[in-house]
Amino acid sequence: MSMIDYDARPVTPQVVLVGHRASSVGYSIRDFLSRNGVPYEWVDVEDTARVANVLTEGDTDVDRLPLCVLPNGTRIAPATVEDVAAGLGMLSDPMLSEYDVAIVGAGPAGLAASVYAASEGLRAVAIEAVAPGGQAGTTSMIENYLGFPQGISGSELATRATAQAKRFGTELLLARRLADVTRDGPGYVAHLSDGTAVRSRSMLVASGVDWRRLEVPGIDELLGSGVYYGAGPSEAVTCSGCRVAIVGGGNSAGQAVIRFSRYAANVTLLVRGGSLEASMSHYLISQIKELGNVEVRTNTEVIGLESDARLRALTISTGGTVARLPAEALFVCIGGVPRTQGAANVGVALDGAGYVRTGGELAAAAGALGDWSLSRQPLPLETNLPGLFAAGDVRSGSIKRCAAAIGEGSMSIALVHQRLAEVGGE
Amino acid sequence: MAGASSSGGPSKEATAEFSPPANREHILEVADALERNGITCTVVDTPEEAREAVLSILPVGAEVYNNTSRTLEVVGIAEDIERSGQYQPLRPRLYQMDREMQRREMRQLSASPDWVVGSVHAVTEEGSLLFASASGSQLGPIASGAGHVVLVVGAQKIVSDFDAGLRRIYDYCFPLEDLRARQAYGVPSGVNNVLVINKAVAPGRTTVILVAVPLGF
Repeated sequence: MSMIDYDARPVTPQVVLVGHRASSVGYSIRDFLSRNGVPYEWVDVEDTARVANVLTEGDTDVDRLPLCVLPNGTRIAPATVEDVAAGLGMLSDPMLSEYDVAIVGAGPAGLAASVYAASEGLRAVAIEAVAPGGQAGTTSMIENYLGFPQGISGSELATRATAQAKRFGTELLLARRLADVTRDGPGYVAHLSDGTAVRSRSMLVASGVDWRRLEVPGIDELLGSGVYYGAGPSEAVTCSGCRVAIVGGGNSAGQAVIRFSRYAANVTLLVRGGSLEASMSHYLISQIKELGNVEVRTNTEVIGLESDARLRALTISTGGTVARLPAEALFVCIGGVPRTQGAANVGVALDGAGYVRTGGELAAAAGALGDWSLSRQPLPLETNLPGLFAAGDVRSGSIKRCAAAIGEGSMSIALVHQRLAEVGGE
Repeated sequence: MAGASSSGGPSKEATAEFSPPANREHILEVADALERNGITCTVVDTPEEAREAVLSILPVGAEVYNNTSRTLEVVGIAEDIERSGQYQPLRPRLYQMDREMQRREMRQLSASPDWVVGSVHAVTEEGSLLFASASGSQLGPIASGAGHVVLVVGAQKIVSDFDAGLRRIYDYCFPLEDLRARQAYGVPSGVNNVLVINKAVAPGRTTVILVAVPLGF
């Protein structure tokens, strides 16, 4: 570690997390802390010397891991994401009884909407299940976003956008998922996973996508124990010297390859298609070609996993030829499925793939308008429910790019204004 | 001049010369000298008053980098900045950044914070400030990169002139800092970079809070 690194360390005690390397709960907490920009120290419980060094009192009860020690000395064992978030003061209740707009999801679309909503005087609240930034927030370096000729990391973009949204006054409700949406007159109530209810005169669904699951036997048991969906920024350093495999042919997979190549002994990119050109941005393909410890295998699928307490190897098939690929970590980046579960019951129209229909697409799709009661047509980005909008990756027909999501989130607020004027009292 | 390597801390002679605090009259004279050099100076009597003075200067929500400083830790400012939730502290943000992928962003972020809060190694009777740094990364912001500079200075850091200031750095501060670095990081420190501020040309940019008791090294 260089002297500059010491200058970058906080001087006050930070979060300490002690647990088993293969613990999926431990991974969830590391992922949450990392994506929320909370510094922490991870200590493997088997590293007894480090455990003794960081814990000043008591033994580590191996049945109550992971153990989390907060900066104020409070110990949480066994720790959960919710308990850690609460202990760090990251959980807050809605401050208002009603908002002008509730924004579900604080990825690029949601954060853009948060900034514009509050900067234009709307009472805005953003609801985020894990961390601001969404999928873009975990991207190691976005090089083609306008205004950043040297690129900007996803985490920096997320950090700046969150600070911007907060500066204008948008509330941020973290670590809670949207469980349900109900109608409340012309407005809506968002029901969150912890029972919190958020009432708003309009709503923007910007909940993005969940990672598409890889259909391989035994994979679910290894989640967090060597298998991860997405780029797993919290795992970059812990993969130092490891053999890493990444599945996917899109930009997310490409970004993950570049990130992990800096730490891993080697990285193998497994692509089902015949080439990367059809699915990955050219600049990423060029960068990957220059990496000496990266191998790209096309026409390849994962068909099995070897493990003990954690992942040890993959069974892969390349054009029918089966081989064994040793790997300590597998990152799955094979696209997304729209995250719409929380809004399912309220009757939002979805397309055949589960994405939220909006605007002109509603009129074009037979029956999609449902019980639309207004004389006007749905506004762009408006769903079949008046005053309920969608933006970003969750929206049917959207361009799945960070800049497009930001654009949609930004423009959604102008449409929210129109809706609020329509119902009066703006 | 001593300081090339060190173990065991400063000599008795250096400690006798550089650890006692200046008296109040002396402190007020130095405050006047700093003001003549364009450096805003506030004199307080206790660490608690110093802490209040810093908090009264830092705007809520400000982006702040707190330098590695025993003074700031003792006064409690480091904790206020990093953990109160009132500011945007840069140290925690830098700490969780990816050193491989975000090295450029880290460099840019640490080079020009809106506010930097730290201390000095010596302040002369003529109103000059002396700083030393092993990495140098904390000197650039103080000299020009940061938007605003706030320095909390214990009264033991007042010296007669520039030569005495350098001796304070090499013979007293460096041995103490070297011991601290070896204990905290396992690596030695070094008087690798030295900054001297004789005059502040940007009005209102630099503030010194002189405390009438010894603080830090």
